[in-house]
Amino acid sequence: MISGTATTTELAVGARTIESFSEESVTLGGVECFQLIAEMRNTAREAVLPPGLHPTVPPALSLQAWNVAESPWGAFSMAIVRVGCRSGARARGFVVGTVVSTETAADGLAGTYGFPSRVGAVNLRHSYDGVDATVALDGTVIAAATGLDPTPMAADDVQYTGSLTLAHTPLGLRLVQVEATHQSTSVERLTARLGTFDGTGWGQRLLDPYFVVSASVARSEVTMPAVRFVCDPDAYAWDGTESVSN
Amino acid sequence: MKFGIFFELSTPRPFSRANEWAVYHNGLEQCRLADELGFDHVWAVEHHFLEEYSHCSAPEVFLTAVAAQTSRIRVGHGAVVCVPEMNHPIRVAERAAALDIISNGRLELGTARSSTWTELGGFSVNPDDTKKTWDEFCRVLPKMWMQDEFEWQGKAFSMPARNVLPKPLQDPHPPMWVTVTTPGTELDAADRGLGCLGVSAAGYEEQERRTAEYYRRIADCDPVGGVVNEQVHTMNFLYCHEDYRVAREVGVPMVNSFNMANAHLYWTREAYPTQAYQTLGNAGAAMKAKKPPADDPSVIKGLPEGVGVGDPDHLIATIERWESIGVTGINFLLNAMEMVDQAAVLESMRLFATEVMPRFQSADARREPVAAPTTVPAGAGGDQP
Repeated sequence: MISGTATTTELAVGARTIESFSEESVTLGGVECFQLIAEMRNTAREAVLPPGLHPTVPPALSLQAWNVAESPWGAFSMAIVRVGCRSGARARGFVVGTVVSTETAADGLAGTYGFPSRVGAVNLRHSYDGVDATVALDGTVIAAATGLDPTPMAADDVQYTGSLTLAHTPLGLRLVQVEATHQSTSVERLTARLGTFDGTGWGQRLLDPYFVVSASVARSEVTMPAVRFVCDPDAYAWDGTESVSN
Repeated sequence: MKFGIFFELSTPRPFSRANEWAVYHNGLEQCRLADELGFDHVWAVEHHFLEEYSHCSAPEVFLTAVAAQTSRIRVGHGAVVCVPEMNHPIRVAERAAALDIISNGRLELGTARSSTWTELGGFSVNPDDTKKTWDEFCRVLPKMWMQDEFEWQGKAFSMPARNVLPKPLQDPHPPMWVTVTTPGTELDAADRGLGCLGVSAAGYEEQERRTAEYYRRIADCDPVGGVVNEQVHTMNFLYCHEDYRVAREVGVPMVNSFNMANAHLYWTREAYPTQAYQTLGNAGAAMKAKKPPADDPSVIKGLPEGVGVGDPDHLIATIERWESIGVTGINFLLNAMEMVDQAAVLESMRLFATEVMPRFQSADARREPVAAPTTVPAGAGGDQP
């Protein structure tokens, strides 16, 4: 069984802080979520994950771009890059970077769930013939993807695995389990192309999404429950998982 | 009750040529002993690219060696991945027939479609198509074996009239099975007159539900071949020791290492949105299985109910329970990631054969060639093997 080899302190550069764990869930309404999955080469397998997580074989990256119409932080857009992994036996995505269109939402996502949010431009255009998604920081495009030829799917045909963010918490530097529930009203599968991807711009130069596997776009309401568990990033999940209520 | 052994040929890191050699040859030694002890089946899976979990990508080669080194045990090619990018159906029919000849009519043929993106993506398979091509394969394979002139216009492949050669020794053809991981596939097996080959551990309650529905449906099946193979086999683990504490110390880490490796596979549903793969992994049923009762003196802490790890009395009780819910065979994984020393594996098999198997099979049955309990559908030609 292989495990991450990244140094946790290096991964924690840019980590945000959760001052206290909220007991309330967050509901995001009118969400459009574009998700692209791509395989990476083995150079980005163990080296981008903390020792407590296990990579998938082959290593895989997911790029998500969201338009959120309603939230406690108002309307916003965001993009998330995650590396597919296992925490214990569970399928997860380790969040490498998050770009959010408003400072309010960036701070809300960081302070509630530990997303390493930076404020930038996220443009997600969803039309009848496909999807365009562009993410920019300080005017530099760090991801651009297109999805064409949408094919309708059933509402539960797309899988969203839970996320793990690395954040400073009241329990210390921890992997924070974020388990969003997507209630989708429409799902389409797309033929996708990843035109631009700048790993360094996302904070991890080793990211290498060279082979696009799939893409989808869904309209949903997303519920993000309050954080219940965190994990020591240097320990396997069965030893290092803690309840935040203890 | 039939007893089989089941091979993934899992290989721990660090990988080396010597480690893979040892895994293969340990497996062959286990097969020779299983043949001698009276086990009924040897099954070998087909998986590709699944690092550590399974290095069994050419099971027909492994099984040919098994056939050559054994005399009575049945040889389970289980399961062939029925997608044309991996296996052309003509080649499946040819290889299976040759293996049936080499094994003197001891072949069982399992069919499957693969569940991981690691495998499907590696062969550029469209996940939407695998259930369709699996169905097509199931329908054409018996025809290739039974007809002297076979032609086909289908989705997975087409061919002009040819005589697919050789024909299997078993007449009309070897028993066919479907590997069952996700709930519902047992119904696909039943409707086609195929055996139900469980390859993920389920709890008693879930297996009882699946088994009852299988038997209900197969009674009205439309068989794809010349025989109906009405059998329900499940997958399990085996580590048998006189002292249940030793069994637990050795067996639990072995079971857990296999389940963890299984959970770490990159499942198709995670990578590719499709209606064809509705579950994330195949360990779900095992995860939901009930824990054994706490007042059981041989309770194996850390394992769900029904797992074949324990002392002989525990295993007898466990197998009786499986038998009571209609399971006709259990295929045991003897090792995982080489967690158990080869000598201990062989000793576990011997103890099982001495203390457990006689409760379920006569000594004569364990010496004779294993029969395939298939039936010929009404109105069909061909003799029973």
